[in-house]
Amino acid sequence: MTLQTNQTEKFTLPDLGKIQLQNFYNFLTKIIYKELKAFPKIYDSEHNFEFKIYPEEFFLVEPILNERESIYKSITYSTELYVTAELNCIKNQTKQKQKVLLGHIPLITSNGSFIINGISRAVVSQILRSPGIYFGSQLDSNSKCIYTATIISESGSRLKLEIDDRKLIWARISKKRKVSAIVLLLSMGIKLSDITRSIEHPAILDNILKKKNVLSNQKDAILEIYKQLFSAGGDPNFSDNILSELQRTFFQQRCEIGLIGRSNLNKKLGLNIPDEEIFLLPEDILATINYLIKLSLGIGSLDDIDHLKNRRVKSISDFLSEQLKNALNKIENTIEQSIKNISKRKRILTPKSLINSGILLAFFKDFFGSHPLSQFLDQTNSLTELVHKRRISSLGPGGLTRRTASFHVRDIHPSHYGRICPIETSEGMNAGLVASLASNATINTMGFIESPFYQLNDSSLFDKPIFLSAREDENFRIALGNRLAIDQEIQEKQITPARYKQEFINTPWSLANLRSIFPWQYFSIGASLIPFLEHDDANRALMGSNMQRQAVPLLITERPIVGTGFEANIARDSGAPLISNIDGKIQYLDSEFIEILGVDKKTYKLKLSNYQRSNNNTCIHHRAIVQLNQWVRKGQILADGATTIRGELSLGRNILVAYMPWEGYNFEDAVLISDRLIYDDLYTSIHIQKYELEIKINHQGQDKITKDIPHIDKYFLRHLDENGLVTLGSWVEAGDVLIGKLSSQEREDSLKVPEGKLLQAIFGLQIGNSRDTSLKLPAGGEGRVIDIQWIFQDEGGIDSNNFVNVYVLQKRRIQVGDKIAGRHGNKGIVSQILSRHDMPYLQNGTSIDMVLSPLGVPSRMNVGQILECLLGFAGKFLNKNYRITPFDERYEREASRKLVLSELHKAKKLTGYPWLLEPENAGKSRLFDGRTGETFNQPVTVGSAYILKLIHQVDDKIHARSTGPYSLVTQQPVRGRSRGGGQRVGEMEVWALEGFGAAYILQEMLTVKSDHIHSRYDVLGAIVTGTTIKTPTTTPESFRLLARELRCLGIQINDIEIYHETLQKKEIEI
Amino acid sequence: MADQTISNVLNQPQWRCLESKIEKSTLHYGRFIISPLWKGQANTIGLALRRTLLSEVEGTCITSVKIKNAIHEYSSLSGVQESVHDILINLKKIILSSSFSGIFEGFLSVVGPKTVLASDLNLPSFIKIVNPDQYIATVNKPINFNLQIYIQKGKGYSLKNPISIKQGFFLVDPVFIPIRSVNYSIHSFEDEKATKEFLIVEVWTNGSIEPKEAIKEASYNLVNLFTPLVSQEYQQLKNQLFKEDEKNKELNFIETNSNAISDNENSYNLYNQIFLDQLELSSRAYNSLKKNNINTISDLLKYSYEDLLKIKNFGKKSADQVIEQLKKRFKIQL
Repeated sequence: MTLQTNQTEKFTLPDLGKIQLQNFYNFLTKIIYKELKAFPKIYDSEHNFEFKIYPEEFFLVEPILNERESIYKSITYSTELYVTAELNCIKNQTKQKQKVLLGHIPLITSNGSFIINGISRAVVSQILRSPGIYFGSQLDSNSKCIYTATIISESGSRLKLEIDDRKLIWARISKKRKVSAIVLLLSMGIKLSDITRSIEHPAILDNILKKKNVLSNQKDAILEIYKQLFSAGGDPNFSDNILSELQRTFFQQRCEIGLIGRSNLNKKLGLNIPDEEIFLLPEDILATINYLIKLSLGIGSLDDIDHLKNRRVKSISDFLSEQLKNALNKIENTIEQSIKNISKRKRILTPKSLINSGILLAFFKDFFGSHPLSQFLDQTNSLTELVHKRRISSLGPGGLTRRTASFHVRDIHPSHYGRICPIETSEGMNAGLVASLASNATINTMGFIESPFYQLNDSSLFDKPIFLSAREDENFRIALGNRLAIDQEIQEKQITPARYKQEFINTPWSLANLRSIFPWQYFSIGASLIPFLEHDDANRALMGSNMQRQAVPLLITERPIVGTGFEANIARDSGAPLISNIDGKIQYLDSEFIEILGVDKKTYKLKLSNYQRSNNNTCIHHRAIVQLNQWVRKGQILADGATTIRGELSLGRNILVAYMPWEGYNFEDAVLISDRLIYDDLYTSIHIQKYELEIKINHQGQDKITKDIPHIDKYFLRHLDENGLVTLGSWVEAGDVLIGKLSSQEREDSLKVPEGKLLQAIFGLQIGNSRDTSLKLPAGGEGRVIDIQWIFQDEGGIDSNNFVNVYVLQKRRIQVGDKIAGRHGNKGIVSQILSRHDMPYLQNGTSIDMVLSPLGVPSRMNVGQILECLLGFAGKFLNKNYRITPFDERYEREASRKLVLSELHKAKKLTGYPWLLEPENAGKSRLFDGRTGETFNQPVTVGSAYILKLIHQVDDKIHARSTGPYSLVTQQPVRGRSRGGGQRVGEMEVWALEGFGAAYILQEMLTVKSDHIHSRYDVLGAIVTGTTIKTPTTTPESFRLLARELRCLGIQINDIEIYHETLQKKEIEI
Repeated sequence: MADQTISNVLNQPQWRCLESKIEKSTLHYGRFIISPLWKGQANTIGLALRRTLLSEVEGTCITSVKIKNAIHEYSSLSGVQESVHDILINLKKIILSSSFSGIFEGFLSVVGPKTVLASDLNLPSFIKIVNPDQYIATVNKPINFNLQIYIQKGKGYSLKNPISIKQGFFLVDPVFIPIRSVNYSIHSFEDEKATKEFLIVEVWTNGSIEPKEAIKEASYNLVNLFTPLVSQEYQQLKNQLFKEDEKNKELNFIETNSNAISDNENSYNLYNQIFLDQLELSSRAYNSLKKNNINTISDLLKYSYEDLLKIKNFGKKSADQVIEQLKKRFKIQL
């Protein structure tokens, strides 16, 4: 019950990446079998032939290409699903039993992602309202209170029952229409007498029956619902058609509640219906009506739809099982089609020939390609990758939409404790809708999120952590563990804060049932990388956890001096480092692979990644950290990834920062840096860009890859080899041709050229029958060509195209305009780079590396950065790393501050620098100006902070245009950097020009520089000849467009001049 | 007057090393005192010294490497644990010291399996490796591992794009700076007559240069920075003397024709030393002349009036101004 925890099972963090893997494993082992089992026997029309499969005998095949090779070859990493199928001829008593390929199933990689067409994708889990019944209250149009019961089916569609203030009970079928609940019950095949018997307050029922002209039989009721649902004019007659249509569109969709829904209904309504009944039964409706009546009388409780007990997580296995079900249905249909007239055919069919093995993959690819929750894996760094797979989204099909989602669903809920992180979510539109799983939470088989707790009771000291879902933990008193009982003797008397039924209470330890496991339990892994998190404002902590995901892997990384202890776990589970899969001895290693001689005397070869491109163009690279002949254990780290050092996550660098203003260069979060960051490669990162060129093969002929490109300066072709491909290892700059390609042009085009006709007539020559479609390096893309790769598509059709990919590696040093950030949401843009001798320096002569604005702290309330910075400073001198757990104030008041100051004191003792901790301004010291040698007039906070370089870099954003493409319709310059677009002169910009009276500039902006086609050309002429630029006299193109659009609406708009003297009209064309 | 000069000589600031220690092979420390100084002088010297130490002291570095069989920096070598790029990063960490400037060649040739350290480098005898235990690479196969390195002395750091470099050569992005950190403090003391100051300078170097040497080099460079300002007058004086000499000579040897030429040459030499600032031109004219690399009067003399007009941003007004000033100050006609 106390910290004397010898009996406690050591609690270790779970594998953070296992959520996806476990779920997919469940799919492979259970769901495939379940779905195959549902595959029916198929007969031909004469029942002579029977087709069936043996679901027990399915097996999967190990993929031929491994994960890396699949990415490299741009294919899907998938397995083959084989099943034993049998085709029986009942008449002849012949049986054909075969192992057939049912299709391909994309496989999860060891990192928990999928590789579809060579692109890593992650499937984000979806959080939805769990199927079941929810009671609520709302106000109707007359602001009268009505009670509602919403029944949510498995597919997400809903059926609503409500009781209004006149005690009438309705079933809402669509948004507008409602029918009496009696009608619904009747249509479900229950007799009126049964209804009256089952309702607990018959008086209310009498009330209803009195009012309505009573329908008494099932047929009428079904007709009524049909009418309401489809609002068909006239009186349709009862027929089987209507029944089946209703079955399909109404009952099947809205009444299939599934296992979870059934258990929910049973619990909520106190029913005892067996689990197999996955459809809504009339008994359910009756019980619901009873509950509603009770509610209207003030008995019973309403449900909180935001409570996690009412929300379940839909993960990969659920998505994939849907797809598998659909695919198997399709396969079933095709088999049915082909088996139908089997007896009439001459050729004897085999089970193999009946199954089209492409269907399965088509369905899966459709899911992975188009489902909004199958996302392009964010691979900026290894943390990003891991966090992406642990994300939980409320969006997507069956979920909420960004625009309509209310504040309630986005908010933090008490049931989120230990399950969903209260801080890590996106900013802006998706705030609260895309959340992150807490570090220790797991998802159970039903899809509910569980959090671990230690049990506290007298008989057994807490042993194993137990996992509880939101429904289960509500009735326990959960001691928060933010105040510890240090002394066992007095522990009993001590009072601890605890969580109980969504409230915080203070309770004696003896009454607490559970205890939370550790302080990081509540946070996601991103947030748990922030030291001194409890000192940061939640908004900034949110930014901090989000920005760590944007950190670029650096050339030389470093782990933080001040960390949280989560670094190693996250690095390991992210899959970035190479981990040994066997006990053994390193037999050989170089930069390509590591060979281990296992204890089983087998040799294992592990490949290292070498400067591979990630989805976000950052670098994936392995660096071996083991030595030759070293013994390694299974699970030991053999090689560091790009963002790990000795197995610890290291996204940035520890650098010396000072919080002081410097000539205004750190105004508004700008940051001043020393040139040491440049020449010592502290913030140099590697970016690998992939340039793709399609080589078309069609009826007009094949594209030609060649070195001889006409009308191009030889200089730009200097890197091309004989075949017209860029040579490996060449340094390419903007404009250089990477692949020389000529495409054949339409014949008629070349004939149109006059001299073409002539030349063809005289020499039989064709001129200009090819067009230059070479791949040229775009601006800002200069770098080293590190790989060239041909992709041949398998399908050898006539129109199949091949691809050539060229990989160009860039080494980017930090520069003005790059974004950098700490871990506390303190972000900024580099505004100036000073040389080392101009930077302020410490009292021992060390120049500061980065000058941050002190004004960035108070309003943002992220004090953690100051504590981190000072503790880092102490650690730098003491040569010590710190791993900080949050909420250390449970030990004593101001514990964090005391820790920092005591460490600074130690550093002062060790180094003998008195300025490290001066009593009058603790944590601050006087700095000297590197330019004048004078001290600054205030002591300055100096320390060592862990700063990251983010993916938002100027090189990717900088853009300028003189002339360029214009959009076709409006003739205005196109938008966007990628298309070479222009800068928008918007409303505000126009006002500014108007304000200054800059009429000519404004006119220029709106005509010559934009959409006045003629003057656009005239300008060029005017510049060349040196004459003045003529003022345009006609209207620009967009005005003409407007005039034409108005004419389409039937409004004539014309420009007519009437001469004063003659009153003659002159129409001017617009 | 004479007294003062003597006391000036006696009171010339002296500098002395207070402490010098080698903390590590790559971290040398030295503490120096400069005394006596008049009030305010300590900061002048201290600041200038700190800034020049940090920016002007030269160092020796590996600037480029040729590695056989390596196609580009990011390729891997069979049998070598590090990629080419990692080797380059390790080579950057090697600290060298040399007293000669120029480009020198060095070699590394080892047979694996072996851990390659900086001490395995074969360098010219006058280049020393400060950190011979700097790790370069590990060769895990019995193969030849050869590097051909180029060493240069320089100032600051150089970041070049590899465009100009031949195939197979890899740039190291050398950082020549040998000074790790400089600190100075000003202390005052009472003399018989006045309050005086002494300056204490602390220097940490990377071991390639002694702190004492660094201070010498920095001071030398600092003084050199000032020479153009000082030497102008000297030069003028010298030239005048020289001119008079010539004239005397001319008197002795009767050579009438050569007179004009030598005079011309002389004045040309003189004009070589006079910078444009002397003309007190408008900033527009001055800037555009500077942009066209016209720095001295002699540069200017190469231009005619018409030529001047062709210079960008150089109108008639500016040209007239130049003509006028030349006439007024130097009696030159373009």
